[in-house]
Amino acid sequence: MTKIEAVIQTSKLEAVKTALHEIGAEGMTVLEARGHGRQKGHTEFYRGREYTVDLIPKIKLEMVLADDMVERAVEAIVNAARTGQIGDGKIFLSKIDEAIRIRNQERGVSAL
Amino acid sequence: MSFTAITFSTQDFFKTESEKIRARFEDSHNGQAAVRERSDLVDKVTTQLWDSAIESSEELGNVCVVALGGYGRQTLFPCSDVDLLFLSPTSPDEQAQKQIRKLCQDLWDLHLRVSPTTRTLADCGKLHRDNVEFNISLLDCRYICGDKDLFEQLREQIIPKMVARDATELMQRLADLTRARHQKYGQTIFHLEPNIKDCPGGLRDYQVAYWLTLISELEKTRVWPKAENILPATLREDCGTALDFLSAVRCFLHYRQGRDLNGLTYELQSEAAAAGIGSATATRISPSEWMRGYFRHARALYRLTVLLDEVPQARSGLYRFLENRKSRLSNADFSVVDSRIFLRQLSSVEDPAVLFSLFEFVARHGLKLSAETERCVEAAIPSMQQRANQHSELWAQLRRILILPHAGAALRAMHRTGLLVLFFSEFGAIDSLVIRDYYHRYTVDEHSFVAIENLHALRAPGDDLQRRFRDVLDGIEKPDLLFLALLLHDVGKGVETPNHIEGSLQAADKIFQRLRLEIDDQDTVRFLIGSHLRMSATMTGRDIFDPKVVQEFCDSVGTTERLKMLTLLTYADIKAVNPEALTPWKAEIIWQLYAASSNYLSRTVDDQRVDAQTSNEDHIKRIVSAASPDVDSRQLISFLEGFPKRYLLTHTPDEIVSHFRMHQHWDGVEPQVDLLKQNGYYQVILLTVDRPSLFARVAGTLSSWGMNILKAEAFANKAGTVLDTFRFVDLFRTLDMNPTEKARLKRSLEDSLSGESDVRETMETKFKPATKIPKVKIKPSVRIDDESSSHSTLIEITAQDRPGLLYDISSNLAGLGCNIEVAIIDTQGQSAIDVFYVTQGGGKLDPSIESRMRDVLLQLL
Repeated sequence: MTKIEAVIQTSKLEAVKTALHEIGAEGMTVLEARGHGRQKGHTEFYRGREYTVDLIPKIKLEMVLADDMVERAVEAIVNAARTGQIGDGKIFLSKIDEAIRIRNQERGVSAL
Repeated sequence: MSFTAITFSTQDFFKTESEKIRARFEDSHNGQAAVRERSDLVDKVTTQLWDSAIESSEELGNVCVVALGGYGRQTLFPCSDVDLLFLSPTSPDEQAQKQIRKLCQDLWDLHLRVSPTTRTLADCGKLHRDNVEFNISLLDCRYICGDKDLFEQLREQIIPKMVARDATELMQRLADLTRARHQKYGQTIFHLEPNIKDCPGGLRDYQVAYWLTLISELEKTRVWPKAENILPATLREDCGTALDFLSAVRCFLHYRQGRDLNGLTYELQSEAAAAGIGSATATRISPSEWMRGYFRHARALYRLTVLLDEVPQARSGLYRFLENRKSRLSNADFSVVDSRIFLRQLSSVEDPAVLFSLFEFVARHGLKLSAETERCVEAAIPSMQQRANQHSELWAQLRRILILPHAGAALRAMHRTGLLVLFFSEFGAIDSLVIRDYYHRYTVDEHSFVAIENLHALRAPGDDLQRRFRDVLDGIEKPDLLFLALLLHDVGKGVETPNHIEGSLQAADKIFQRLRLEIDDQDTVRFLIGSHLRMSATMTGRDIFDPKVVQEFCDSVGTTERLKMLTLLTYADIKAVNPEALTPWKAEIIWQLYAASSNYLSRTVDDQRVDAQTSNEDHIKRIVSAASPDVDSRQLISFLEGFPKRYLLTHTPDEIVSHFRMHQHWDGVEPQVDLLKQNGYYQVILLTVDRPSLFARVAGTLSSWGMNILKAEAFANKAGTVLDTFRFVDLFRTLDMNPTEKARLKRSLEDSLSGESDVRETMETKFKPATKIPKVKIKPSVRIDDESSSHSTLIEITAQDRPGLLYDISSNLAGLGCNIEVAIIDTQGQSAIDVFYVTQGGGKLDPSIESRMRDVLLQLL
C-alpha cells in the first residue's frame, strides 16, 4: 500500500477528484492547506498597507491505495492538476505498513 | 419462591407488556400515553421485585423506593434512564445494600438503564452544590414502594424546606445550566438536524420552565401545586400541543434506534414524516413540511425561556448594576424591566409606526420582548393585513432596523411574531425551511439572520483579518442595501425555480415594489442577490492569483462599491452556513481576491475608457434611454466618449444626463458649478476645461469654508472636458443654516477656478482648523507605480485624514508640475485613501521627479 499526498491548486480540486474517480480511486481526505515551494509568494500593497502573500492557499489530498493503483492515480492527478505554471504543486509517495478499518477491524488492502 | 424464578417471570411479563405498549404507540402515535404506560409498567415490575426482596430481607423494611427525574414524572421514554432513589432514615447496612444492588441488577437484566442512588432523608435536605441536578431531580419524586411514611416526610417536609431555603440558588443554577446548554446549540431552535431533547425549544426547555415555576411556588407556599396548573395559563395550550408532538417524536426515535438518541437526523425526519408521527391526520406530508411543524412546536417551548429572566442571575454586583441600568433605556412607548421590553400601552402596537419602532428598539439595544409584548404584537397583526401593502414608510423603517447592531435579533423577533411574513409574504416560503445538505446547520430563514449578525459582529473584530473586513464595511456608502440583500438572498430556496437565485430575484422584485426602493438601489440589491455565489465560485474554481481571473471577476462586478458589498456578503454568507464553515483559510482567500480586485479596479481606471461610438454596452443604452426626447443622443454619446468607464459605473443614468445638460449650457470657457444636497452630504459638480491646479483650487476653497471632503473624483473626456465631483459634509452647518451661503460658495468656487481669487492666499489666511488628536494613528504611505497605466503614473496615498489634506496633496502635485488626469479620493474612518493618475508633459513622470515627489508627500502627510 502507498500513501499519496498531493498538494495542488485550490482551483484544481474538482478536476483532480473527477480524474481519480474515473480510475476507481475514490476514498480521499481533502485538507485546506497553506504553503509555498520554490514559488515563494509575492508582496501585495493594498490601501497603503503592504502585506506579503508568502503562504499561498492550496489543497492537500491524502489517499492510501493498493500499489497497483498508484501509478494510474499519480498520472490522473498530474494530468488534471497541471497548468505548466509555477505553483502547480507536488505529489509525495510513501509506503504504508498497515490499514485497519475501525468498524470491523478489517486489515490490509481490503480495509482501504 | 426464589428470587431468580421471579425474575424470569418478570422478564416475560415485562417483555410482553413492553411490546404491547410499543404496538399501541405504532398504531396511535400517542407518545404521552406510551411514556405513561411504560412508567406504570416499570412501577409494577419494580414493586414486584421489591416485594420479593423484602420477603427475604427484613433490613429493607424501613427503605423506600422513589422514582426521580422523567420516571418520577411518569414520562419514561423507551430508552431513557430509570432514576431510582433508595431512601432510608439512616445509611442502610451492608445486607440492605446488597439487596438493593441485587434489585438493580434484576432491573438491568430487563434491559432497563437503572440509575440508582441511595440517600438518607438528611442527604435529601441538603443543597448539593457539586451535584445540583440531584436536588432538581427530587422535584419530580414519586412513591413506588417501601416505607410510605418515609416518602411522605421527604415530600411534605424535607423537599419543601430545602427548596424554601435554597430557592434562589437552585433557580440560578438551573438558569445557568440552561443558558450554557442553549449556548452550546447556538441559541437557536433552527437546526437542520436538531436534538429534540437538548436543543433550544426541546423537551428540556419545557422541563426547566416547569421546575422554575415549581420552585417559585414551593418557596412561596411550601405546598406542592397541582402539576397541571404549574405553567402560566397563557403558555399552557401551545405548550401542551408541543409536548404531545415532541413526546411522540422522542418515542419514535427511541423505538427506531433502540437507544436514548434524540438527534433528529435527515433520515429519521423522512421516516417520521412518512409514518405521520405527531400528525393528527392521515395525510402524509413531505419531510420539509413535517420539519416546519417541528419548528412551530419548538418555538412554543422556546418561548418558555422567558421565565429564565425572572431568575436573578448569579453574577457580580457590577453585572447586576449594569443590567439594572438598562431600565434607563425606557422611553415614552416602551419600558425596560429586567432586560425585557414592555409596552406602556398594550394597544399601541396596532399603529405600524409604533410596531416598527418597537423592533428598532430591539435592534438598537439588543433587548428581548416580554411575553406580554409578543402576545400584543401577535394580536395586532391580523388587523394590519390590509394596510400592509399600502405602508409607505416600509423601507425607511426596515432600513433603520437593518443597520443597527442587533438587527438579527430584531428580525428574528419580527419573524417569530409573524410581522416579517405579513409585510414580506415571500419570506414565508423559507419559514423554518430545511434544505438538506452536508454543510448547512440552520434552516434557510435562520441562515439569513445569522448572516446579518455575522456582518454586525465585525464591529467588534476578533482578529486582524476581521478588522480588515470591518474597515471594508465602514467604507460602504449604503450598508442598508447590503443587509437587505442578505435578508433576501436565499428566499428563492422556498419556491420552485430551476435555481434558487432566480427565485430570490423574482421575490426581491416584488418586495422592491412594496418598499418603493429607488431604481439604482434595486439594481444594487439585484446585483448582490444575483451574484451571491460568484465570489465563492471564483475562489474555489479559479486561480485567484491569475491576473486574467481577477480581471474577469472585476468585469462582472464593475465598481469598487459593489466589490466591497459582494465581498462582505460572501464573508457573511459562508460564515452563516455553520460556525466552522468560514475557516481562516477561506477567509484569507476572500480577502486576497478582494484586495487583488480592489487594486485592479483602482489601477486600471485610466486605461479603461469609454468608446461610446462603437460600444454596445448596456450602460450607454440605459443613459440614452434615461434622457428626455429633446436630448440629442448623438451629442450625448459624444460627450461620454473618452471618460473612464468608472464614470459610467459610479453615476446613475440620471446623474450623467444632468452632467450632459450642464455641458450643453456651458460656453466652453466659464466653469459650470452645481451644488446639490443629498442624504446628509453636499456634492459639488464642476465642468470646465483643464487648467493648472484645478483640483487643488476646488479642494482648497471647500476646506477654507470648513467643509470636510469625503470623496472626490476627477475625470476628463476625449474632448478635454473636465468633470470633477466633490462630496463633502458641512461640519458647521453653514449651508443648512444660511441658504444664501450656497450661492456664495458657488461664486467662491467660480472665482477660485477663474483665478479671480487666490486659493493659496485664502488657505494661508483663513484656514485655521481646530487640531484634534486622532483616535487611531494611520501610518502614511506613498506608492508610485509606472506599470499599471499605459500613459500615466499612478500614485496611491494613504494617510491620516485631516482638514486641508487634499488641498495640501493636490497643490504639491501641481507645484511639482504634475497634471492630475484622474483622481479617486476616498475616506474610510480616519484614513484618507487617494489615488491619482498624473502626467508631466503629457507622459509618465521622470524617476527623479518621482523620488522628489515621494519625499515631499511623506513630509506633508
